[in-house]
Amino acid sequence: MGLKSFSRARAVHAMLVYTGGCNGCDIEIVNAVFSPKYDAEQYKIFLTWNPREADVLIVTGPVTKQNEEPLKVIYNAIPEPKAVIAAGACALMGGVYKNIHGDIPSEEICGPVDQVIPVDARVPGCAVRPEDVLAAAVAALPKLLEAD
Amino acid sequence: MDPSYSAVTVLGTLILGLLVSLWLPGIERKFVHARIQQRIGPPLSSPGLMAALKFFYKKTVRPSSPLPGLYNSLPIMGFISALLILLFLIPPMYSIGALASLVAIVGFLKIEEVIYVFMGSLSRSVMSMGMPFPDLARGAKYPDVNRYFLEDLSSMRAFRLIAFGSFPIYLAIFVPAVLSGSIFLKDIVAYQAVHGPVIFTMAGVIGAVVFFIGYMILLNEYPFAILKTKADVIEGPYMEYAARYRAFVYITRGFLMFTLGCLFSVLFLGVPPDILSWGILVNIAVAAVLPVLMAIFSAFAPVFTFKQFYPVTVAASVLGVLALVTAFV
Amino acid sequence: MDGKQEIIETEIAMGPVHSAAIEPYRVRLFVEDEIVRDAEITVGVNHRGIERIMEGLPVEKANSLTEKVCGICSGVHLWNSVLVAEKGLGVEIPERASYIRIIVGELERIHSHLLYLAHGNEVLGHETFSMRLFYIRETVMELLRLIGGNRVQYGVPIIGGIRPRADLDEMKIQRIGEGIDLIEEKLEAFAERFTSDPMIMSRITGVCPISRKDALRLHVTGPTLRATGVDLDVRREMPCYDPFEFEVITQDGGDVRANLLMRVLEIFESVKIIRQALRDLPEGKVVDRSWEMQDTGIVKSYVEAPRGRLYHSYAIEDGRVRGSIIRTPSMSNIGAMQYACIGHHITDAQLGIVQCDPCFTCTDRAIEIVDMSDNPRR
Repeated sequence: MGLKSFSRARAVHAMLVYTGGCNGCDIEIVNAVFSPKYDAEQYKIFLTWNPREADVLIVTGPVTKQNEEPLKVIYNAIPEPKAVIAAGACALMGGVYKNIHGDIPSEEICGPVDQVIPVDARVPGCAVRPEDVLAAAVAALPKLLEAD
Repeated sequence: MDPSYSAVTVLGTLILGLLVSLWLPGIERKFVHARIQQRIGPPLSSPGLMAALKFFYKKTVRPSSPLPGLYNSLPIMGFISALLILLFLIPPMYSIGALASLVAIVGFLKIEEVIYVFMGSLSRSVMSMGMPFPDLARGAKYPDVNRYFLEDLSSMRAFRLIAFGSFPIYLAIFVPAVLSGSIFLKDIVAYQAVHGPVIFTMAGVIGAVVFFIGYMILLNEYPFAILKTKADVIEGPYMEYAARYRAFVYITRGFLMFTLGCLFSVLFLGVPPDILSWGILVNIAVAAVLPVLMAIFSAFAPVFTFKQFYPVTVAASVLGVLALVTAFV
Repeated sequence: MDGKQEIIETEIAMGPVHSAAIEPYRVRLFVEDEIVRDAEITVGVNHRGIERIMEGLPVEKANSLTEKVCGICSGVHLWNSVLVAEKGLGVEIPERASYIRIIVGELERIHSHLLYLAHGNEVLGHETFSMRLFYIRETVMELLRLIGGNRVQYGVPIIGGIRPRADLDEMKIQRIGEGIDLIEEKLEAFAERFTSDPMIMSRITGVCPISRKDALRLHVTGPTLRATGVDLDVRREMPCYDPFEFEVITQDGGDVRANLLMRVLEIFESVKIIRQALRDLPEGKVVDRSWEMQDTGIVKSYVEAPRGRLYHSYAIEDGRVRGSIIRTPSMSNIGAMQYACIGHHITDAQLGIVQCDPCFTCTDRAIEIVDMSDNPRR
């Protein structure tokens, strides 16, 4: 593979955005990076808090109404090429907060993440396991490598 | 000296400096931080070389700033001034009198510091005030007060650092000048060829310690990282850099580490970076050892607020003055 | 807050997503020359309407929903909710179940305090210690996975006892014993290293203190209150804690150092309680299913969560939950967070907010009364 894809695979900057939710998934993701047992840096995934530096956006939580605009603004601030990982049951289908009374929609949740921004990799779990988050980061890589 | 040899020396040393400096962040992260934190770190090339390459291939975005052209050109200016410091340390350039002197080096270092002030005041990131949040709703406190961005805070701190944070390194740089009696690099190197390296004298030892503290303050490394601490200003002045310009930010940091290592080697060991002699190995060794020492110290230190910063800088400056006085005597 | 008119120059706002916050909240700091003069914390970003969802659900389902309120202190929410139902229906649980619930509750307190310490160190800028604490925390997470099946949200208490799969056998008891010995040893070594470091001590001593009088006035609860010298702990009022002996730790000053040391000492107390529980674990069955559903009025229950006094209440009508209210300890502590920052540098103010152990996911509730047409929110 060319120098472009090679360098993109050897340094991935990931940004974490929490959009409401119980924060169990966030702590597990921070665990995946900060805990020496899982240590995402050995897989060349660095954690950053700046959207301008990020390649991959990890979103947890069902998107609450107050968090919808910030999420869109952060997504638009990331330069191309980018990938989005939705982590956790809340981010995938709204978790327990959406539609729990059947057809009556929830008034607090803006829907799962793919109603707000496009999603490339999905991680199930409540809360996600740190091993699965690392696997998702690897699964989202081809989109970055093949982009021009 | 034969002009073609000098051109080869100059260009060769600059390119070698660039190549070595791309591996320095990786050494810092893998061999020091990761060992201390009891984990396997990233591969050696990732934080420095591969990250810079990857950023070159990203699509440029327009930074959210009132003067985007000026904002984007600032890291390039920082890179050029670090390049110029290394350029004037190379022996064939000593014949250009005025620019191969300590005063010029102090001037170039000042450019590096002033750049932070401009970067901070020109950056309007989305992560601070620009976040679309209904702050000024009914019942909010103080609805009509001036609202600042986080990077403005960073630029005010950079301003203070210019005022007092650069004393240690300037005092340390002048210790060899006092010992050798001249501010020109040519004379300092010649003095050390005759009398032995400055670091083997009492003044030299104290001066080297003060240089190390000033080196950490200039590179904004923990514990002196109040400019870009993760606790309140998320990344400080660099917030809005994306793609190519961020690659320059990464490269400049490694390059500045290499350049300051060569400066230490010239001033305190008397070995200039000359690719056609064995002295270049001493330079590379010093340029690799200083970041390792810095990383060991920074792994065990929290961020200092101004309450602790002032006393440490004052103590370092007093030590620097002591070194100068010892050099006189 | 003290009536003096000070000149406020500028405002710095830190948004929902920030590197020093593990949960979304908005804080506006009003500063003058980098010293904070006033602060305003806005919560409500995390509002998901859980109490409204619980309205009308069958009781067991509503109980397991309360676990999703918070990801850090999840077990204690479930425990309290089950206690409400048991109090209302008059269910007596077997002793073995009570002991196992307490073991899980104390393990959760340990992991929540370790997360607090790790986060505090991260805001201080000390990544090395933060990583060491996360490593110690991994042991607790593995023990919880052993007992309950998941690292976060393990769902051990049910009405009438505990889930039969969460019962402890010989192998598990031995593993838990080894695990807590390891934690105690590593944490002691860490605490010695931490308190003997002059750089860190100068950064946290005397920073953002809360006096005892102010703490009582601001309705602070939990370890934050005990760090100012007031001796209040809900565990002494709970009958299920009667067989255990433990000390209630208090510190003085209410500053960051007192809060951090307080949590470390509380972890040692929790280890003591778990050891006593493992040693005296009674035999018998773990669940008592011989209760019947009946209608009850509003029943209240209090429990000592890792952050303070937690309150749940609801009524059961025809097997379904009506009018549930959850009041979490972080809601009381918000006033203290705003107050502690005043007069300090901005970087220290961030420490002041973190010292009161914010868990804003627990905090965002809305009280909704179903009979009225508009929703009054409190």
